[in-house]
Amino acid sequence: MLASVFAKTMRDRLRAFRWWCLVTLGFVALYGSVYPSISGKESLNKLIKDYPQALKGFIGFGGNLDIVSGPGYLGAEIFSFWAPLVLLAVAVAAGSATLAGEEEQGTLDLLLSLPVSRTRCLLEKLAALVCEVLALAFVLWILLVIVSYAAGMHVSPGNLGAATLGALLFALDFGLLALAIGAATGRRTLAIGISATLAVAADVLNALAPLASWLDGTKLASPFYYYSHGDPLRNGIDATDTLILLTIAIVFAALAPLLFRRRDIASP
Amino acid sequence: MTAVIRAEGLTKFYGASRGVSRLELEVRAGEVFGFLGPNGAGKTTTIRLMLDLIRPTCGRVELFGLDAGKGSVEIRRRIGYLPGDLRLYDRLSARELLRYFASLRGLNGLGEGESLAERFELELDRPIRALSKGNRQKVGIVQAFLHRPDLLLLDEPTAGLDPLVQITFNELLREVTGEGRTVFLSSHILSEVQRLADRVAIIREGSLELVEAVETLRARAYVRVEVTFAARPPAKRAFSGLPGVRELERRGQVVIFALEGPADPLIKALARFEVFALDSHEADLEDFFLTLYREGAGGAR
Repeated sequence: MLASVFAKTMRDRLRAFRWWCLVTLGFVALYGSVYPSISGKESLNKLIKDYPQALKGFIGFGGNLDIVSGPGYLGAEIFSFWAPLVLLAVAVAAGSATLAGEEEQGTLDLLLSLPVSRTRCLLEKLAALVCEVLALAFVLWILLVIVSYAAGMHVSPGNLGAATLGALLFALDFGLLALAIGAATGRRTLAIGISATLAVAADVLNALAPLASWLDGTKLASPFYYYSHGDPLRNGIDATDTLILLTIAIVFAALAPLLFRRRDIASP
Repeated sequence: MTAVIRAEGLTKFYGASRGVSRLELEVRAGEVFGFLGPNGAGKTTTIRLMLDLIRPTCGRVELFGLDAGKGSVEIRRRIGYLPGDLRLYDRLSARELLRYFASLRGLNGLGEGESLAERFELELDRPIRALSKGNRQKVGIVQAFLHRPDLLLLDEPTAGLDPLVQITFNELLREVTGEGRTVFLSSHILSEVQRLADRVAIIREGSLELVEAVETLRARAYVRVEVTFAARPPAKRAFSGLPGVRELERRGQVVIFALEGPADPLIKALARFEVFALDSHEADLEDFFLTLYREGAGGAR
């Protein structure tokens, strides 16, 4: 069963992964069950219109503030915060634990005494990370398709897929950053700290940038912007945004082995 | 014949003082090469340089004629490694861990692991976290030997093993070298290296002190005899000229002798005085270093 570093890494993550699936199931079911009671209540939208602009930046997804339609509700409740957060948590946890965590525990010493090159070891761990986040995103998507249909949200599976794909790539950007920092330093908390801080900064920047004209251009530096601004729940996939998020991920993925190869491994 | 391990000017600095400096080593096929030194002398650093886990500051080390860095994967295919600070995957059972390592080495099943585990009476199916220190060490030994490697890098291998298991381990080493395979064994225990090794290198504070055949080393070994006299000890000349006896130091009523060969001359000489207590033990590594330096200083004069 444990025939490769990839398989071993997947197995290490399996227990936590099951919990994340349960959490996802719980949240999606909860939000889905609330939707019918606010569906079409325009008064709620009026209420939100009076919210401070800064708050609206965090709630809104794709520039719309309409929480009583299907896409608006899913955007505000699931995709503006919760979905990217869960995927991010899984990606950063995996990205920091898989290499830096193993180095801190000291088992990397023994693993790299086997005839496995450092690059191969890292790439198999990277593949396991991508598969894990991809699997959770898939579970999320399936649940959303079911809930959207059951609760009458009228969002197509394709558009749900587009939004989920965006959240997945956003999470992978920071998960792979955590992996690269771990590859460069061997320190798990540093990898978590930097990547989580930057992920929060990306969200905040995207939400607050529109408030001041001098700040507005900076949102282009935020991966969250490319994930959300095209309103994938209404408009489906946007090739440019997807490509930008994918490029960031590829840059970190390519950087990680380069940094890992040239370094001394810490002794246990 | 080419050397299995050859280090040339191998140097690794890190931190302020730790590391190794300009090591010259040559280990031949089929020998047990003892690498002896106190803790922190640079033994583990040297082994980790061989495995390419860390990179030399300057100099180089070759294994099987391949550069430790460039040829690392090919080298590691032929090496079994037992770390000094052994960390295992605690959630796996020994069987799962051995199967994992065997498959990363391209072997089916456990390789030699099954028979080795039987020999060391290792329970394969309990989770590793539930194993005692000695049993964890057995897992470490089995994983190092399971692919019949040409070279074993063993860092303090007998730590935590009870004496009976150590005997099994010694037998295993003898079989390995009998087949022409090579063992590089680091230890801080003089008697262990004397028992197991053919040749010994002594390392201290990152530098090589000497490389010698074990017999030569053994010839220099001595027993340390501590005699507590009931009154003021007799003058030095009472013991000078006794065969195989050297006086090392005196402290109040205590005199410490180095004894090589039979104890009889010293006992007879002591019998003339009132002796309150007598204690003797094999010289340990630090004692050995003391004589080494004393001889060195004597030779220079």
